[in-house]
This record gives sequence, C-alpha cells and structure tokens, in this order.
Amino acid sequence: MIVGEQKPISEIKEIIAPYKKILILGCGTCVKTCFAGGEDEVAVLASALRLACKKDGKEIEIEEFTVERQCEDEFIREGAPAISRNEGVLSLACGAGVQALARRFVKIPILPGVNTTFIGVLEKQGVFTEECSGCGDCMLAIFGGICPFTRCAKKLLNGPCGGSQNGKCEVNPETDCAWQLIIERLKILGQMDNLRAYVPPKNWQTGLSGGPRKLVREDHII
Amino acid sequence: MTENFKPKITLFHCINAFGDADELSLTDMNNCEIQTVKMACSSMVKDVFLLKAFEAGSDGVVVLVCPEGQCRYVEGNIRAKKRVAWVRNLLDEIGLDGRRLALGNMAAGDKTAAAQIINDVLKNLAELGPNPAV
Amino acid sequence: MNMKASGKLQEILSKGEFAVTAECGPPRGANAEVVRKKGELLKGYVDAVNVTDNQTAIVRMSSIAACTHLLQMGLEPVMQMVVRDRNRIALQSDIMGAYSLGITNILCLSGDHQSFGSQPDALNVFDIDSMNLIRTVQTMREQGKDMSGFELNEPPAMFIGAAANPFADPFEYRVIRLAKKIDAGADFIQTQCIYNIDRFKEWMKMAREEGLTEKVHILGGVTPLKSAGMAKFMNNKVAGMDVPESLIKRIAGVPKEKAVKEGLKICQETIAQLRETKGVHGIHIMAIEWEEIVGEIVEGAGLTPRP
Repeated sequence: MIVGEQKPISEIKEIIAPYKKILILGCGTCVKTCFAGGEDEVAVLASALRLACKKDGKEIEIEEFTVERQCEDEFIREGAPAISRNEGVLSLACGAGVQALARRFVKIPILPGVNTTFIGVLEKQGVFTEECSGCGDCMLAIFGGICPFTRCAKKLLNGPCGGSQNGKCEVNPETDCAWQLIIERLKILGQMDNLRAYVPPKNWQTGLSGGPRKLVREDHII
Repeated sequence: MTENFKPKITLFHCINAFGDADELSLTDMNNCEIQTVKMACSSMVKDVFLLKAFEAGSDGVVVLVCPEGQCRYVEGNIRAKKRVAWVRNLLDEIGLDGRRLALGNMAAGDKTAAAQIINDVLKNLAELGPNPAV
Repeated sequence: MNMKASGKLQEILSKGEFAVTAECGPPRGANAEVVRKKGELLKGYVDAVNVTDNQTAIVRMSSIAACTHLLQMGLEPVMQMVVRDRNRIALQSDIMGAYSLGITNILCLSGDHQSFGSQPDALNVFDIDSMNLIRTVQTMREQGKDMSGFELNEPPAMFIGAAANPFADPFEYRVIRLAKKIDAGADFIQTQCIYNIDRFKEWMKMAREEGLTEKVHILGGVTPLKSAGMAKFMNNKVAGMDVPESLIKRIAGVPKEKAVKEGLKICQETIAQLRETKGVHGIHIMAIEWEEIVGEIVEGAGLTPRP
C-alpha cells in the first residue's frame, strides 16, 4: 500500500486560504488504511478546519465526500457533482490521486492535503514501514526477501557498511540495519553463500532515474 | 472573559462508569451547563464526535471512562485515551487549546471522582474563556 | 596482486616491509596552504597519506585536489573516494583524472551518510557501492576498460585499497566480507582504529585461516587517545568502535595532564603488538586534526627513517 501522512493543519490552512467553498475529498483505499485520508479523516479535518476558520473569523463552507479510489476514473466520477459545486478541492489522496483529479477537472484547483511518502506494509496496528522503492528490477530472491535498495540507507548491494552497529543503522538507531536482517535471514534459509557472491552495479534504467514510467498492456486494450 | 461566563460542557460517558448523569447529582454544579452523551463503551468517542461537540458550541468536553485494567471491553478506555490525546493536539494546533478537552478515569459510580474531573476542566475554562470558534 | 601500479606504498608492501600511512583531512575552504602545512608535518614519517573525501559528509576541498597539492610537495597520496556523492560516470571520470595527475593509490569507501554532515538536505547518490567501485578500478587497471567495456586510451593503474572493520559486522560475516573485497580487487586493507587488540587478533586469525593474508596487505588502524572522555565517547558514540573497559579505566586512572602521554603509550603498545601479528603488513595512523603527533608516534615506534 501507499503510505502518507496528513499535512499539518497550519499548512493546510494556508493552502485553502484563497477559497471560500471547498470540498475535502477522501480516498477509501491506501490513505484510509494509514489514517491519512479516509472518510473518518475527512470528517475530522473538516471539523477542525471549520473550528479554526471560525476562530480566525474566516468564512468558509466545507463539503465532505469520499470515493473508493482517486486513481481510477470509475470512482472519481462519483465525486464529480461535489467537485463541480466547489471553488477548490482539498484531496486527501496520495499524489497519484491528486494528479488524477487534476487531469480530469482542469478548471478547478485540486490541492494536496496529504504528504505521500512510501510503498509499505502495516507492521502492526498503527505502524507502517517502507519496504519497496519501485526500482523496477526486483532482486529479493538473492537477498532473502529483504530489499537493500529500500531498507539500506545507502542502497548497498554487497553487505553492510562500517556504520552498522548492534544490528542498527548508523542513520537512525531505531532502524534495523537491512544487511543485518539479510544476513540473519540467509542464515536461516541456509543461503549464506549469497553473501559471497559479488552483486554487480544496479541497472537504474528501470527506476525513476529515467523520468516517469509507464506500463502499457496491449493485451488489455481494445 | 465575561463575568457571567457559564461554560457549556459536553460530557461523554461510558454506561459502565455510571448509568445516568442524574446519578452524579451534577446539578450541584450550577456554574456550568452540562449535556451528556451515553455510550456503551468509552472507546466509542470517535475523534469527530469530540470536535463536533466544539462545533456545536461547547466550551469544554469531558470524557469519563473506567479505570485502566477495568474496562469491560478490555482496551476501550485505552483507545479513548489515545483519541482524546490526538484531538487535544489538534485543538492546540488550531488555537482552541487542548485543555478544553479532558479524559478522566473513575470507578463505577464514584460521584466524587466525576465531580473532581469536571471541576478541573472548569478551572481551565475559567482561564481559557468561552469557545472562540462560536 | 598486480605489478602494474606504481608508487612507494605498493613497493614497500610488495617487498614485505612494514608500511606506515597516515591521514590528512582537506580544509573547509579553498586554501591550499592548509593542506601543505599538514603535508609538512607528515613528510618523512609516512609512506603515503590518505586524503579524505568529504568526511562525515561535511563539505571540504575535494580529495583529488588536496591529493594533487600533496603530490606537488613530494608526498604520495592515497585518494579516498566515497560513493555517496558521485554516480558511476563521475567516479570513473575522477579516477582517470586522478591517475593523470599522478595519483596512484585509491581507497574505496561507502561514505558516511549525508544526514551526519553539514548539508543533510542533500540528495545522496549511492549509484554503485564500494564493492562495485573496487571491482571497477580493478577492471580499469587489469583490462583497461571502463564499466561500459570501452577500451581506455590509458588505463588508470591504481593500487586499490578498501576499509575493514574487525569490530563491526556480525561475527559470521566478517571474514566473508573481507574475502569479498579481496575478490573484487582490493590490494590493501586499512582497518578501523584498534583498541581491543585481542579481538583484532581473533579477526586476523580467521583471515589467516581463510588464506586471506596471502592475498591482501592489511594495515592496522591506530588513533592515539587523548583523554578518558575521548575513549568513552568513541566507545559509546562512534559506530563500530570497541574500546575495552580496561583501557578506559587505565587512561582515567592517570591525572588529566598525563592523559595524553598515557594515550600515546597505549598507542605504542598497540603498534608493537601489531608488528608481532602475522599478516599485518603496516599501520595506518589516524590522528585527525592532530597531524603533528604522527612524527612522534612513528619515531617512538622505531619506524624511522622510512625507506
């Protein structure tokens, strides 16, 4: 899932400042799971903003609506009437959702209310960790299922750096050293030989280095 | 701060803490107006309800829950505690001041404890004044 | 180990003589005189001088430039190169440039993360890792080709170094890592500074057992302690450092004015032990911002004059 965090209220207030009538549009998929922009979060934000604006003597009308996903037309369409009624839309979807809306509702300002951060998993209720950086060339098979590109702060392919201390990363003592994890996992899998094998430089052409990527599946296009 | 400021308080309580507000003889406290909201468990206080109480004109909001470890639904009061903390922060961020919202643990039927918790909030409200977003 | 590269450091190590290297940190500015002054303090006491590459991610004069200043005054530099700030294109380009300027030694490192440095907002690179860098330099030297397979008009024949920390990695992995670096092309290794000599000897034993000491020259790192405070700080706050409690107690046990002297005594004892350890072919003295002490240490260890 995509993980994100709602922007601070102070920043959101500034973003919506020019508008008197806004729609806060939530998304029921990824951002709902990480408590950034689902229906509940839309309600809380709307309420908080109303209180804030009232206190500041700013006039504002806030409408609330949530669609299943903001990255697909099928669902975005459901929000169309609400969108057209308002001067601006504060979208609580991830960056992709915000842009999908902006593409389709060209005449209405679509504003981001969430900072999209990473592709990750729910480690436990309330805790989300980054796992994948979308490099386009997955090598999890040789690393025991743990990604060093994403989880090593230096994207090292051939083992830990000298800063790995007590199994923790030098950058953040609360972060596990990915290589420590890989070594332990390979030990359990009986694949310690993988550690001896030289891993050549990564081909970054499949990654973001080449600009925005596109996937076209002809077999699904009529 | 007006002299005849009579704070409006919304009181969320779990029915396991006490069945009805009358039980607490809250009418002793005629220096405030109290509206109560009964819940099956204190964990039912969603963030948005707490905020809506302020939108509806409350100057203060109190959430009464059972003592930790004695929640009938095990962690209901812990969830309530976490949510209240979250909304307090939110109130600070928007400038309403988180001290308008309080959570208090009370043993079932303990009128004195309930009154104490409400009194503490009233003290804060005397200093903070009416809800500026009304 | 190849014979194509040249330089005093390689010569000394190939002959089986005990080598001495030290470190020099470039200044935070464009003043070459700072580099020359440090060079003067080290001249005659070392076989080669490591020049750091934006160490701790603090922006400093480039390693390649500072190396060149040292070259011009008759010192042999070891250019440290980190993979944090430059991609493979820039790294290969700088390797060729460095060799063309007369720099013949390189130390391939990952680099401290930028969050520790003076400009933590910067984007890091890490296009390739230090292992890839070692292999790249080896390929350039041995095959005369760059990473794309292009034949270079003159291969940079560098003497290749890598770092090793006998006190960090998980136990099972230490020797694997060393073997891997040697396989990738490392000719010499400089270790993290040694205080726990017993643990270091354990690591050396494992290295010998795998036959690694036959394939690479290991130089033991030493840094003189100045105070108990420094000892404690290094043990607690510096990643991958092991300062035994006994040493901390020892230096804490002498009056403050005598701490530096005691620290130097400990340093000499460590050097003596390293000279006795089979497979150790030299020492690497890291006295950051205390270059003036290097001469005293080398003399005290009876390692002058240098060949």
